[in-house]
Amino acid sequence: MRILVIEDETKVGCFIRRALEEESYAVDLCEDGAKGLEMALHTNYDLLIVDLMLPSLSGLDILKGVRQAKIQTPILILTAQSQVDQRVKGLDAGADDYLTKPFAIDELLARIRALLRRGSTESPGVLQIDDLALNPATREVTRGSQRIDLTLKEYALLEYLMRHTGRVLTRPMISEHVWNQDFDTFTNVIDVYVNYLRNKIDRGHSKKLIHTIRGSGYMLKVD
Amino acid sequence: MPLRVRLTLWYGTALALILIIFSTILYLVTARSLRDAVDESLEETAAAAVRSLEERGFLPLIDEDELMSQFPELARIDKFFQIFSPSGTITIRSPNVKQQEMPLSRQALEVAYSGRSLLEFAKYPKEPALRLISVPIIYRGNLLYIIQVGTSMDSVEETLNRLLLVLLVSMPIALAVSLAGGWFMAGRALRPVDTITLAAQRIAGGDLTQRLTVPASADEIGRLTNTFNAMIDRLETSFRQIRQFSSDASHELRTPLTVMKGETELALRRPRETDDYKVVLESNLEEIDRMTRIVDELLFLSRADMGEVKMERLPVPLDTLIEDLHRQASLLGQERNIQVVLRATTPAVVLGDELRLRELFLNLLDNAVKYSRPSGAVDIALMIDQTHARVSVTDHGIGIAQEDQTRIFDRFYRTDEARAHTKKGTGLGLAICAWIAESHRGRIEVQSKVGEGSTFTVMLPLAPAPAAAKRPPISSSPSSHRER
Ligand SMILES: Nc1ncnc2c1ncn2[C@@H]1O[C@H](COP(=O)(O)OP(=O)(O)O)[C@@H](O)[C@H]1O
Ligand SMILES: [Mg+2]
Repeated sequence: MRILVIEDETKVGCFIRRALEEESYAVDLCEDGAKGLEMALHTNYDLLIVDLMLPSLSGLDILKGVRQAKIQTPILILTAQSQVDQRVKGLDAGADDYLTKPFAIDELLARIRALLRRGSTESPGVLQIDDLALNPATREVTRGSQRIDLTLKEYALLEYLMRHTGRVLTRPMISEHVWNQDFDTFTNVIDVYVNYLRNKIDRGHSKKLIHTIRGSGYMLKVD
Repeated sequence: MPLRVRLTLWYGTALALILIIFSTILYLVTARSLRDAVDESLEETAAAAVRSLEERGFLPLIDEDELMSQFPELARIDKFFQIFSPSGTITIRSPNVKQQEMPLSRQALEVAYSGRSLLEFAKYPKEPALRLISVPIIYRGNLLYIIQVGTSMDSVEETLNRLLLVLLVSMPIALAVSLAGGWFMAGRALRPVDTITLAAQRIAGGDLTQRLTVPASADEIGRLTNTFNAMIDRLETSFRQIRQFSSDASHELRTPLTVMKGETELALRRPRETDDYKVVLESNLEEIDRMTRIVDELLFLSRADMGEVKMERLPVPLDTLIEDLHRQASLLGQERNIQVVLRATTPAVVLGDELRLRELFLNLLDNAVKYSRPSGAVDIALMIDQTHARVSVTDHGIGIAQEDQTRIFDRFYRTDEARAHTKKGTGLGLAICAWIAESHRGRIEVQSKVGEGSTFTVMLPLAPAPAAAKRPPISSSPSSHRER
């Protein structure tokens, strides 16, 4: 899951980014409004976190710009203002949720999970395919009765695959949603991580879940 | 009681009084002149009768028929007459006298003996009042007869009664009509007041965007409306400023809180290296310092707003102060390799509070260093003209766009360039500077070009000559100066 954070207070942006990365999200951070809008328009993010008071372009303008471009990515606004009208304006302009500063990190994370869940129509909460289960709230992955320990990136990759079960996911799609903008697309990092995942999930099971689609990418499905 | 009712009542009472006085006078004057007219015609008739008798040599007249033939003119008059003998008995009377006896009154007889005429009223039951004139006819010192001419007051009284009736009926009608008119006029005159009241109620309800429509006339109501609108304008502006201010203040205070809460929570989520905790604590300390600065500055400004900041008015030698500040600013500049140069100085004394002036210049120097590029230069100059001392602080840093140059003195206002340049800053410094300059009857001017640098010039009125003459020695430490 790749998230764009547009926040001009460097320190605030930094700790949000760290918190999210520790939850295995891929995070891009931007401190400028206009630049943030451009990034939101050109990259297919899974979620936007937008501060309302920004230099060069306000959070409200970013919201409007994104929605005008018919991008339905969930947007969470951060605001230092406790005034109701600011939040109302934000929600009316197309935000999906808001948080007032200062906020608790746990709440931020819970709201992000809720927003990401909203995108997929099926079962909220636990993602399941065959006997493989992934719980985004606890970040617990099990196959059958056996717990599987994953690194942050492995987890992020698996979550992305599981949210798009039965669809072919190309390498550019995977890199766009699992890695941030610092990722170098010309390496074979994706293949390496898919192999790690295979080792942890499919090894020892007769039923393989991760499949290579030759020439295009990967797919998670039950045979 | 509503103003409209009161106005109408006042008006009605005044009008009623005027009407009553006017009617009474009219009635009395009319009554008087009608009676005078009656008396006059009685006198004329009596005089005519006397003349006729004289012409005929005062013949004793026997009966009425003879009398009428002798005096045909008597038959034509609307009056009656009687002739009495000197003893007061009736000798003769005109035929139009009713059957009743109408003896000569005692008073008339007495007056007749003294040779004068008498006008009197006579009243008989069931008859209208009569007006009588008794004229003695004296021939060679002897009273021959008394001629009495009378007429009924009937028509006079009838006229007066009719007049009274007209007055009594028309007065209430006139009063009622004009009361209604007064009510209407008062309503019309007061309608703008009602409009103002309604608008004021809406405004009191919190809608400060409301304005009254100004009437075309420049009357009292027009002036009231204009004054009212001007007042709401000012209210709206200051409300907007207060709202802006408190929202800015809340934003500025929430940001460090957000950082501290977020970083601390994040650190506590899982076990970490000692160095990680140290980084968080150091960062939190920075935020605490920042909050302390904001709170101090806000406190100062709000106390200044309430007029609670004490200002000394002592002679302050600016040259010494500037030299001292120059040393301090040089230290500030060293961190960023910025040269602070004292370009010009001259003896100058102003009346004021040294601590505050120090704060003012230090803020400007701090800004100049802060918004300079690394290894830039900052110049200080102190000059005087006839009336003012001018302290200018020049830097070659990021500069300020023309449209921002007035707004930088607003509380919390920081330009986007300044925000991008450094996170250190509250946006309150220049607001405090402006306040200090103003309370010294001075002002601050800005000249700046984006990317080239800025010059802030403080102008302070010089102390009058005697104060300048006895320059007190000033120590570089402000506290010892304070204790004197
Ligand atoms: N010397 C300067 N050069 C450029 N900009 C300046 C300078 N001094 C002040 N400013 C602008 O005015 C704003 C307000 O200044 P100030 O009230 O001192 O706040 P602060 O220094 O805390 O940001 C600054 O944020 C900056 O945008
Ligand atoms: Mg400053």
